[in-house]
Amino acid sequence: MPARDLVHAWLALLLLSYGTVLIASSGTHGSVWMAGGVLGLAGLKARVILARYLGLSASRFWMRVFDLVIGLFLVAAFGLHLFGSGR
Amino acid sequence: MNQAMRTEPRSASPDVLSELPGELMMWVLIASEILVFGAALMAFLAVRASDPAGFAANQALLDQTAAAVNTLVLVTSGFCAAAAVRAREAGARAVARRWLFVAAALGVAFLVIKGFEYANKASLGIGVDTSPFFMFYYLVTGFHAAHVMAGVVLLAIVAWADSVRNMEAAVAFWHLVDLVWVLLFPIIYVLR
Repeated sequence: MPARDLVHAWLALLLLSYGTVLIASSGTHGSVWMAGGVLGLAGLKARVILARYLGLSASRFWMRVFDLVIGLFLVAAFGLHLFGSGR
Repeated sequence: MNQAMRTEPRSASPDVLSELPGELMMWVLIASEILVFGAALMAFLAVRASDPAGFAANQALLDQTAAAVNTLVLVTSGFCAAAAVRAREAGARAVARRWLFVAAALGVAFLVIKGFEYANKASLGIGVDTSPFFMFYYLVTGFHAAHVMAGVVLLAIVAWADSVRNMEAAVAFWHLVDLVWVLLFPIIYVLR
């Protein structure tokens, strides 16, 4: 992978992590928006690691498989979180 | 049947497994680890449903700042590990070793921060049997920390046995550790 792509992936992960911190410190604890936001950002971070660092961007098939698995996991986590919060 | 269709040679079905970058067994490990940690986090959220107020009160005792710093440490370590593979593929063995050293050092930094976090909990009298929340907290983050330890050892080994193949496999494991953390962090530390 070109050095520029590695740096871009790293910067993207730092920005996404900063986004998580911003949401966590926004005082919206317990809101549906907050839960969806941090889980969505987690999914994007996972995608960057899989696609760029683990090289899955070279295979559309496997990228889709892992997108599906991580996506289902995050949707289930979101659903369980809402259920546990009594919504 | 059309003659042309009968005589046309059958194309072989594409071998999707060969599309996976690196070692197949490493991908088996990555998939199984995602499933194991995923199941543990699902169990955590399912048990939370029985006592959301208790889980929120316990979660407020966690150090979110230390966990956020650890996210930056691990993400940066993953970048260094990827840079090591790139340098090794270019034939720059000494440069690759230096990147691996930095990646491993950041892994140790992650463990030190995690150690302070555990020590702080112990000083408050919080242990595995304090509550269901802390049982899951120690189980999931402890299992992840064990993976970080194993990853640091692997990075040290491939800095010595530095074939491209060895380095790619160890660094793929290190990215797995990174991947699990970015999924674990919001669920254990942030969601309320």
